[in-house]
Amino acid sequence: MRWVGVLARLVVGGVWIVAGALKLPDPTESVRAVRNYQLLPEAVVPFVGHSLPVLEILVGLCLLLGLLTRPAAVVSAVLMGAFVVGIASAWARGLSIECGCFGGGGGPVENATAAYPWEIARDAALMLASLYLVWRPGTPAALDNIVFAPTYDGDPVSDS
Amino acid sequence: MSKKKSNATRRAETLATREKAAAVRREQERAERRRRNVVVGIAVFVVLLLVGGIGYAVQSSRDATGETAAPPSGITDEYALVRGDAGAQVTVTVYEDFMCPYCGQFEAASRDTLDSLVDSGDVKVEYRVISFLDRASNGTDYSTRAMNALGAVLDTAGTDAALAFHDKLYEHQPAEGSDGLSDDQLVKYAVESGAAEATVRAPIEDRAFEGWVVNATDAANKDGVSSTPTVQVDGTTLEYTTTDELVTELQKAVEAAQAG
Repeated sequence: MRWVGVLARLVVGGVWIVAGALKLPDPTESVRAVRNYQLLPEAVVPFVGHSLPVLEILVGLCLLLGLLTRPAAVVSAVLMGAFVVGIASAWARGLSIECGCFGGGGGPVENATAAYPWEIARDAALMLASLYLVWRPGTPAALDNIVFAPTYDGDPVSDS
Repeated sequence: MSKKKSNATRRAETLATREKAAAVRREQERAERRRRNVVVGIAVFVVLLLVGGIGYAVQSSRDATGETAAPPSGITDEYALVRGDAGAQVTVTVYEDFMCPYCGQFEAASRDTLDSLVDSGDVKVEYRVISFLDRASNGTDYSTRAMNALGAVLDTAGTDAALAFHDKLYEHQPAEGSDGLSDDQLVKYAVESGAAEATVRAPIEDRAFEGWVVNATDAANKDGVSSTPTVQVDGTTLEYTTTDELVTELQKAVEAAQAG
């Protein structure tokens, strides 16, 4: 069971790194992708568009390496929850926009609505995996085990 | 009560004292480790925060949106290329990207209708070209190059040449995901549309209007245009799912606007 956490770290962390890395090359586009959702006030849209890809990569790296696993998993779960709400609200308002989850944003999407359910399901599953790590952040093969000394007696991973 | 404890009692007491001392020591060590972990945790967090801050600064410095850029001369309302009489009763606004295949379909399907409406004098068409499909041309930034070339033709040869160039780029539209037309091909079509190679080549190759392209795209994005083609009649966006439906809706909306 200890390795379930490792699997969750690898999957969620890997997805974050890919998603962030694909957005990184075009900051202009990621701002537009955020704006397309028409949810945030214009004053914060550029900040979110510029910082989100960087945050995604950092959270992904932390999860992959098992560094500050619990805080990283909290951030990861909150972001995934926000994405689920964003996509669901775009769907409910009848917006036909590209998710922008893995770069892009604002493309000509004839079938945006067809993609929404799958995108919501994917993000919800990743949110659940993140929540598992919030609950059980202690995993083998994690930097946390080296960087932080155990504050309880016994095996650092078997119990937390 | 005897003052003398039995040996067994004494031994037990010594053991208990030792265990208590050991427990206190363990607890102290734990507290020490906890303090150290908090410090390490904060240090790691601060490093991450710094890296994140630097990343954010780099990202925003790489975004050229909003920097002032001179639009081509002859442009209307900064970003619109107008076909028809400026005083026409009905305005059709078309947001499109030169790489977008549905825009190409719409251009082909609506050209005759729009031309006759424009000729009647009742309707003017505002082309608001944008560039957001650069990633669909194998890194050659075709959307931006094509729109920049439109600006170059308008700037050097005027509206009629720019409109002819606009139509030509859709008639010879490259497939989405291909390299797009080369700069030389853009120059060739510009010349065929009425521009002079001597003046139009440099702004096409140097992307003289790239800043205008970025700002035009951003303005459309801020107006809520999230896909292309987006077609508006007197400011009202037409809803559609297929190109045929879009053309039908366009005709209906124009007739309604003419009647009203």
